[in-house]
Amino acid sequence: MAEITFFFIALCVCVFALLSVLSRDVFHCAVWLALTLLSVAGVYFYLDAEFLGVVQVLVYVGGIITLFVFAIKLTAKIGDKSIVQVNEQTLAAAIVTAVLFYLLFKVIAVHPWVSGPGSAAVVSLKDIGNSLLTGYVLPFEFISLILLAAMVGAIVIGKVKK
Amino acid sequence: MIDPLSVQVRSMVINSSVILGFISISAMFLIWWERKVSAHIQNRLGPMIVGWHGSLQSIADTVKLLLKENIVPAGADKMIWWLAPFFVVVPSVMAFVTIPFARNFVVHDLNVGILFITSITSVCVLGIFMAGWGSNNKYSLLGGMRSAAQIISYEVPLLLSVVVVIMEAGTLSMQGIIQAQEHGWFILKPNLAIAFVIYFISSTAEVNRVPFDIPEAESELGAGYHTEYTGMKFAMFFVAEYTNLFIVSAVAATLFLGGWQGPFLPSVFWFLLKSYGIIFLSMWVRWTLPRVRMDQMMGFAWKFLTPVALLNLLISGWFMLR
Repeated sequence: MAEITFFFIALCVCVFALLSVLSRDVFHCAVWLALTLLSVAGVYFYLDAEFLGVVQVLVYVGGIITLFVFAIKLTAKIGDKSIVQVNEQTLAAAIVTAVLFYLLFKVIAVHPWVSGPGSAAVVSLKDIGNSLLTGYVLPFEFISLILLAAMVGAIVIGKVKK
Repeated sequence: MIDPLSVQVRSMVINSSVILGFISISAMFLIWWERKVSAHIQNRLGPMIVGWHGSLQSIADTVKLLLKENIVPAGADKMIWWLAPFFVVVPSVMAFVTIPFARNFVVHDLNVGILFITSITSVCVLGIFMAGWGSNNKYSLLGGMRSAAQIISYEVPLLLSVVVVIMEAGTLSMQGIIQAQEHGWFILKPNLAIAFVIYFISSTAEVNRVPFDIPEAESELGAGYHTEYTGMKFAMFFVAEYTNLFIVSAVAATLFLGGWQGPFLPSVFWFLLKSYGIIFLSMWVRWTLPRVRMDQMMGFAWKFLTPVALLNLLISGWFMLR
């Protein structure tokens, strides 16, 4: 039962991810990407990482995909089906991805995977909160600073010049 | 020997069936109720023909919607058009997973219950936008755009007011929040009363109701994002709208009014009484106030509601740490 659930979620992730890359229409890509991210949230829920799953939905689907969709709507002609999705570097990209795939495959095949009952620690919300505001407070604050900088940058770029 | 996992699965299946039945009946009841409330506020009678005081009107309407032809507009983006209603309905059904109907009845009491509801209902925005985009109709697209902008803006004060409750209760679990209100409802405390008002205003905007119904403003946009939908697809948007109304009211009852707690009567009765009471309040507001303008609404969210919610959060935190 549990394996069937996992394989179903995994299949969803793969299919939707492929569709989001192969789709011709950029709006369709955004929708498939949303479904991919929802399926990944399913993986988190399956592994009892409820908080991570919920945040995945809230941040990625509720926030970032909505932002993507807005950007697609506001960018002229990007929703057009006639837009070319590949550039002239097809051959180089194919070689690079083939090599990368080979290396990853090699590593995955060599790695001694442990099978059997998993022992993933269930981390409580309290622990996450405590460690975010004690041990990891510097990276946490640093990320917020980066986000602030990105926001200011976006406003500066988007500002209409007088 | 019975496998414990299969027992769990079986109880989940039964619970889910109960919830699905409740959603459809509740939506039909709410549609009839809204028509009656609006009629009486406007000094009319409302539906009177089918059944006692028109009580079977919703069933007749459902049959009508089932039999309607499904019209797909020429030039619609077919895939987006087909998927959009599901993106709106499925999240609102999923949100019921953590709603505590009674002392012993909640499908699955997640540790992150309230966060689960807010995150899963935020997927609806995408569905509404998809409906607007897929229809290939400028009014639908405008409605979808407005809706997305509105829901994103009002999500901020809504979550900030929920955070005050979480701080007071010390837990994210819906049952935990109710148990924290054993010695007095949260709405009786001044900072949480302010949070309740902010929550109520933002949730009215979240479910696109008057005075914040500009995404589907009939007089300017036809019906906004669902103008082009007919038959069962339209019915799905309609059901999702009333289901979302029930969800925000049930969450308000849980967070601020003590959920299923109450004397003498069974707990499920108290929960439904409080939820439907808040729904009635929301209907009262809908049929009394005029619609606000788009810029007024966005200004209200960002320049008034969000600062007040932040200040409320700050003051509550200060009192808690003092």
